Amino acid sequence: MSEALVVGITFAASYGLIFGYAAYLHVRRRKTGR
Amino acid sequence: MKRVQILLGLAAVGIATGGWLGLNAPPDALQGEYSRIINVHVPSSWLAFLAFGVTAFGSIAWLIRRKPKWDRLAASSAEIGVLFTGIALVTGMIWGHAVWGRAWDWGDPRLASTAVMFFVYLGYLALRATIDDPTVRARRSALLGAIAVVQVPLVYFSVNLWRSLHQTQSIRPDGSTMPDEMLRAMLINVIAFTILYVALLYARMGVAKAESEADQRGASAERVKPPLVDEVRDV
Repeated sequence: MSEALVVGITFAASYGLIFGYAAYLHVRRRKTGR
Repeated sequence: MKRVQILLGLAAVGIATGGWLGLNAPPDALQGEYSRIINVHVPSSWLAFLAFGVTAFGSIAWLIRRKPKWDRLAASSAEIGVLFTGIALVTGMIWGHAVWGRAWDWGDPRLASTAVMFFVYLGYLALRATIDDPTVRARRSALLGAIAVVQVPLVYFSVNLWRSLHQTQSIRPDGSTMPDEMLRAMLINVIAFTILYVALLYARMGVAKAESEADQRGASAERVKPPLVDEVRDV
């Protein structure tokens, strides 16, 4: 795997995890009904 | 909720700017493209330290004041800290595999102490999940949160205290060991990640408060539940 691809996947996976967590919190808050 | 969305938007703009600058900075002569991983690895490590520091602050505040908001602050910050410690560990392993030739070494003080810190705070979250009573849960986790923070300076200074494969701090009182372009991109990412942390902390505390109120409403409804038809007939 090329260096740039490894770096790209690392960036995308990290940001995906962080903003995925933010989205999960948003959904959990809405499900709580407030 | 609006506050969280504004902060998330600001953080996204900061991360896009920092990411763009990081990807456009010239690659390191020895590490090549892999040097760009610092733009995620260093801000994540910084947030782990900040988050566990805030957990200790919330824990001590709860032990003094006994207000539920301090427990919510401590627990929310610990959860976010675990997320960012996990990211710091994995990005460090990817970088280590490429640059050191090995992803992990238990003999290295920085790597081992970070892993221990990760598992201790994972244990903190597990402890909370096993206790139903809010006061008992708050007291036990506050004690752990106040004690566990001693690991933060230990992890940070582990590269100075012991011989480590991990490099020492790049930003020192006498200046930086990094080229300006790399340093600028990394600092913008550190600021953007810090804004992101504040947004996630507000969002997580909001969830904790809403769930706590829903639990209380459920408990109240249970207490005033009308008798069943059969129970009325029996009387």
